Parts: sequence; C-alpha cells; structure tokens
Amino acid sequence: MKNNDVYVLSAKQVSIQQPLSEDWMEQPIFPEEPYVRSLDPDFKKYVSPIEARRMGKILKRALATSKEAIADSGLETVDAIVTGTGYGCVENTEFFLDALCKEGEQLLKPTFFMQSTHNTISSLIAIQTKNHSFNATYAHKSISFDSALHDAWLQFSLGKINSALVGGHDEMTPVFYHILKRGDVMGKDNEICGEAAVSVVLGRNAEKSLCKLSGMRVLYHPTIETLSKAVAILLKNAGKRIEDVDFILTGISGHEESDQAYLAESETLFGQMPLLKYKHLFGESFTASGLGFYVAAQCLKAGKVPAHLFVNQEATSEKQPHCILLYNRSDGKNFTLTLLEK
Amino acid sequence: MTNPILITGMGIVSAVGLGKAKSLEALLDCRSGVGKLKYLKTEHTEFPVGEVKLSDSEMRTMLGLPKNVVTTRTALMGMLALEEALKEAGLSADMLPEVGFVSGTTVGGMDMSELYYLDYIDGKGHMEYIAVHDCGSCSEMIADHFGKFAFISTLSTACSSAANAIILGANMIRCGEAEIVVVGGSECITKFHLNGFNSLMILDTEPCRPFDATRRGLNLGEGAAYLILESAESARRRGVKAQAVLSGYGNACDAFHQTASSPDGEGAYRAMKEALELAQLQPDDVDYINAHGTGTSNNDVSESQAMKRLFGDQVPPVSSTKPFTGHTTSASGSIEAVFCILALQHGFLPINLNWSQPMEDGIIPVSKPTKKELRHVLCNAFGFGGNDSSILLSKSDLP
Repeated sequence: MKNNDVYVLSAKQVSIQQPLSEDWMEQPIFPEEPYVRSLDPDFKKYVSPIEARRMGKILKRALATSKEAIADSGLETVDAIVTGTGYGCVENTEFFLDALCKEGEQLLKPTFFMQSTHNTISSLIAIQTKNHSFNATYAHKSISFDSALHDAWLQFSLGKINSALVGGHDEMTPVFYHILKRGDVMGKDNEICGEAAVSVVLGRNAEKSLCKLSGMRVLYHPTIETLSKAVAILLKNAGKRIEDVDFILTGISGHEESDQAYLAESETLFGQMPLLKYKHLFGESFTASGLGFYVAAQCLKAGKVPAHLFVNQEATSEKQPHCILLYNRSDGKNFTLTLLEK
Repeated sequence: MTNPILITGMGIVSAVGLGKAKSLEALLDCRSGVGKLKYLKTEHTEFPVGEVKLSDSEMRTMLGLPKNVVTTRTALMGMLALEEALKEAGLSADMLPEVGFVSGTTVGGMDMSELYYLDYIDGKGHMEYIAVHDCGSCSEMIADHFGKFAFISTLSTACSSAANAIILGANMIRCGEAEIVVVGGSECITKFHLNGFNSLMILDTEPCRPFDATRRGLNLGEGAAYLILESAESARRRGVKAQAVLSGYGNACDAFHQTASSPDGEGAYRAMKEALELAQLQPDDVDYINAHGTGTSNNDVSESQAMKRLFGDQVPPVSSTKPFTGHTTSASGSIEAVFCILALQHGFLPINLNWSQPMEDGIIPVSKPTKKELRHVLCNAFGFGGNDSSILLSKSDLP
C-alpha cells in the first residue's frame, strides 16, 4: 500500500527574528516600530556577489531559506517547487517603475525588469538547483503561501509528487510601505509591517520530520456555517476530533477589527481553545501565514510552545503540543485552515 | 486520467473581438486584431499591438458598473470573459458558493500604478487604486462581480499563468475538492511590460511572424478567457453539454534562464510529454498543436526543437495564433485554449498568419486555411523563468 501521509521535513525562515535559526523560541525580538525589515543572513554562502547585485532582497532570502531547507530535508531534489508571494519582486519592480515614471520610456535598461515578475523566485530556485520538475507561483494576498501549500497538497493527494519545496516570500521596501500606508492597506492600529521568507520541504518520510501535514482547506467568502463544516471535514479526514487539537494558531496582529474577528470566530468554531499568535514577533505581510506554518511546525518539533506566543497570558504553556490548527483569515473573505500534528 | 474533466462553458475577449463567435469568425476569416496603438498612453507608438478594442469606460458601461466601483483594465476584461463563460455553462450567482475560481495574471493592477505611482508617493490622490495593485485583488474584482465563489486562487507564472490556472482547477476536481472550477486568466497591456519587453529587444515593429526566418520579435496583446471545468457527474446532473474534454496537462521548468529558453527546449518537451502521458495518448494521436510561438528568435527555435524531440519527423500541424491577438501574456494559456476548442468543434486548423519563409531547423507552420477533423490538440504556454505548461484538449464526443 502506498504511503499517503505528508510530512514537514524542514522549515527555514528569514524575518524580523534571527535568520535561519529558532532563537525566537527562547530569545524573541519584540519589534517596536510599525515597519521592521528582516535580519538578513550572510548571503555569500548562497549566491555569488556578482549575481546578488542584480537581485532584490526577496530573491537572496528565497535562495538562502530554500537551499537551507533542501539541505536540511535530507532529500537530493524535490518533485515540485511552489512559491507564494503576495507582491512579488517589489524592489526590482520599483526600480523599473521609478525609472519609467521619472525618466520616461526611452532609456530603460532590462536589468531590473528581468527579475521583476512574481515567478522569478520559483524559477531562480529551479535554475540554481537544476530542477526541471513542476514549478508554479501563487499571488493571492494573505493566502499566497497557503495557496502554494494547497497546490502541493493536491499533488501529494493525487500521488503525482512525493516531495515539494513550498515557499512564502514577500519583501517590503520603504517606498512601498509608505505607499501601502497611504492607501490604508498596511499598518493599521498596532499592526507591525514585516517581511517574510519561509521555505519548507514536504515529503513522505516521517523519520526526522518536524511534524505531519494532516490536511488543509482554502475557503472564499465562507459563512460561519461553511467554516464550521470545513473544520469538521478537515478533522474527520485526519481522523481527529476537536478535542485532539491542542492549540489554534491565529493571525492576531494588532489590527483591532481583524483581531476581534479572530477572537469571536475562534470561540464559535473551536470553543474554549488556547489561542496562539505569531505576528507580534514576525510582523504582518501577505505571506506571514508561511511564518505561522513555520512557527507551528517548530513548536511541534520542540514539543513546547513558548509562553510569548499565547494570546491569553493566563493560559498554561506547560501543555505539550501534539496537534495545532492554523487559522488564517483576512478581510473577512479569504480563509484557510491547516492541520499540523506531531 | 480515469475520470474525464469536461469543459462546459467558455468566454473570451481579445484583439479579435468580444466573445466566442467573433473569435471564431476572425480565425476562419484569417483576420488579425493586431494594429496601431490606440488605448495605451505610451511613447512607443512604433509597435503594433493587439489591444482589446474597448476603452475602460466602455467596458464599465457594458458591465453596468456603478461609478464608485474601483477596477483595473485587467479586471474589466476578465469580467467580460467570465460573463460569457458563466452564461454558457448555466451558472448563476446562487450556484457560485459551490464553484471555485482560479485566475492567472502578472501585471495585476499595474495599469493604474504606473499612471499614479508618483501621486501615490506624494499623496496627491488616486489612493483607491493602491489596494488593487496586487494580482490577488484583480482575481477578486473579477470574481466578486458575479457573486460569492467558494474558492479563489491566483496563479502568477508570467505568460503561462492561465495554463497553470487550468492545471490547478483540474487537480481540485480530481481530488474531489470541487465539481466545478472556473479557470483562466486576464491581462491588459501596460507601459511597464511594453517597456520591459522593449528593453529586452524582443518587440517587433512589424506584425509578428512566428516560425518565420524573418521574425524579429513579438507584438504585445491583451485579453482574457475563462473555461468552466466540470466533473462528468456534475455536468450530467445539471444537464449541461460538454464543449470539449480536458484530457491531459503538464507543467515543467526549463531551469535555464530567467528570460530565455534553452536551445533544446527541455522545459517545453517535458510539459508536452507529461500532458500526453496523463492523457494516456501517443504522439501520433495529436492532430494539432497551438504553439506558444511568440515570434521571438529564441522561443521559436526552442519550441521547434522541443516538438521535434517529442514527435520526431511526424510533427503534427502547428500554428501560433499570436499574429491574430498579439501575445496576451498571462491570458494566453486560456485564450489559446478557447481557440483550440473552437478548432475542435468546427474542424479546422487555425493558420499561422504572416508566415512565408521557413526558419533554420524550425517547424513549418500551417499557413493555408485547412478543414480538418480534430480529435486531440495540444496548447502550449511558456513563461519567463522557464515556466512551461502544455494542455491537451479533446473532442467531447469521444467514445
């Protein structure tokens, strides 16, 4: 019989926290500004300085997290490379757009245009790792990472692939932050605008894995009844009951209206369940949910949840996590549910 | 594939017109929609383009959009195409909460961002467009115009975006996540990518000539097309007719260069081969290939090699329909899939307009109008970064 299970073999991040490390568990950095850029690792190990000069930060970070995740997974190669990115290669797009708007249409150079499309990230990883397999990029707002994960999940279910590199990448330049803030898209209330670079490798091998991906659901415009039904189906397909879930990982971010909705809906959907958050450490971005996935996977691997992730501080952090349900909602329109277990 | 996926509706808008009927007419009459620039405000008037012959405000009127609704050109074209597709498949607003929507785009709301970028920075106005700059917002504007879809996703793999949207939708149906998924893509011409392609020196100042020895590059186009993918069980239950069958698809990465294709067409070869394997068909079952055929020196060499590797000296009739529409970038995968279905339904080979001289080592495309019964056709869409996809469409009345 075929092994149908999907495991998280490795998960790496570059963000506001120490890069390519799990230091945030014991020594979290609490961002204090509304807009915080990521702490970058030394990129020399992942890309030559000549190539790096033409790359926006998003590409360098994607190479670093992807190469580390593949190395850590123990796999030689992957059957699919799927990336989620809400805004794509912002830095390179901005260079080209800025020149277009300020200098006109006669003297533009192709350098930045060539690496400005969203799919540059997935393609670059494929070129650098000489990988000809399935390659795709999703750009759907705050479910960009989840959409990429969903694609891989379907292909695992069909038996089409046995491994995948799934990424979530977004960069935020000062100019773009300024624009998004002006447009009231980012930086509401106490929300921290961050950047995200997450790479996870999924595979069939349970040994040495961080956790198991037991299922996921992606919903648009759901009613609370539809959501409730989706939770039930997700759990049923994974052979679980709601009592088996130890924590709900929410996207509570300091954006008041959204946070209230998280609290109210969680109570309706899950009852009195300990809620966790991660965006106060990692910031908000279109692919922040990828960092949430990373956080949950690392907690399951470590067998503990750091106290600083609890929404309700009175909740006990002694409880060992065996099963975490990731709840991602945005704008009251896009919702995803992802189930991870030990 | 064991359970066939049916196509129960489609809608299209491109330089050759709005709707399937206009598209069919143009293909049969060999009438191109590529011409002088009219709607995009750019200095580069030297390039022929395949614009949709409607202004934004004309499209808004046709769609009955109230003044306060914020849209972009990509969204407007998407709505026009989706309207036709939903109508043909008999899908009304009350049914959408059971239906998925997957759309492909790359420029998203760039048409507005490039107009107002400096205003955004200075806070001078037009701020309402900031929130719809991203690709996902574009899909949402298109979808939400018709009701509340149960699922939404946005592919952004440059010029193969719509083809990859078709693949995701098919996988969802095969996994039982949905019975009906609307798939396709939409993309308007922007100054941003017109200038980008110009800086790469891949735009022709003459009408494009794919697979011709004298080809000098592509003509940009724009448009949108959507297909309704549906399980056979659902179509039977709803009593809707299949327009065609999606019998296979493949996605592979050329993994060669960000903006150039490999000389041996590795990605293209793999994508087409995978599509055939999934459909359990042999190369000689393919009756026609709608090539990506952009008319750039590089693409046509690479794609010719890929076809020769897969089909040997028995390459089926091939044409690129880009001389009709221009290169509709993210939408090309679904626009050309609609052309393929029209060819299947009406038994003809769309011609490769503007072709006269064979290129070295290239395929010889269809250059004369030809009636032909078609059973299986391949439709290629390749993107920057070597994101290569191929879709296999079959006649719906197969036993």
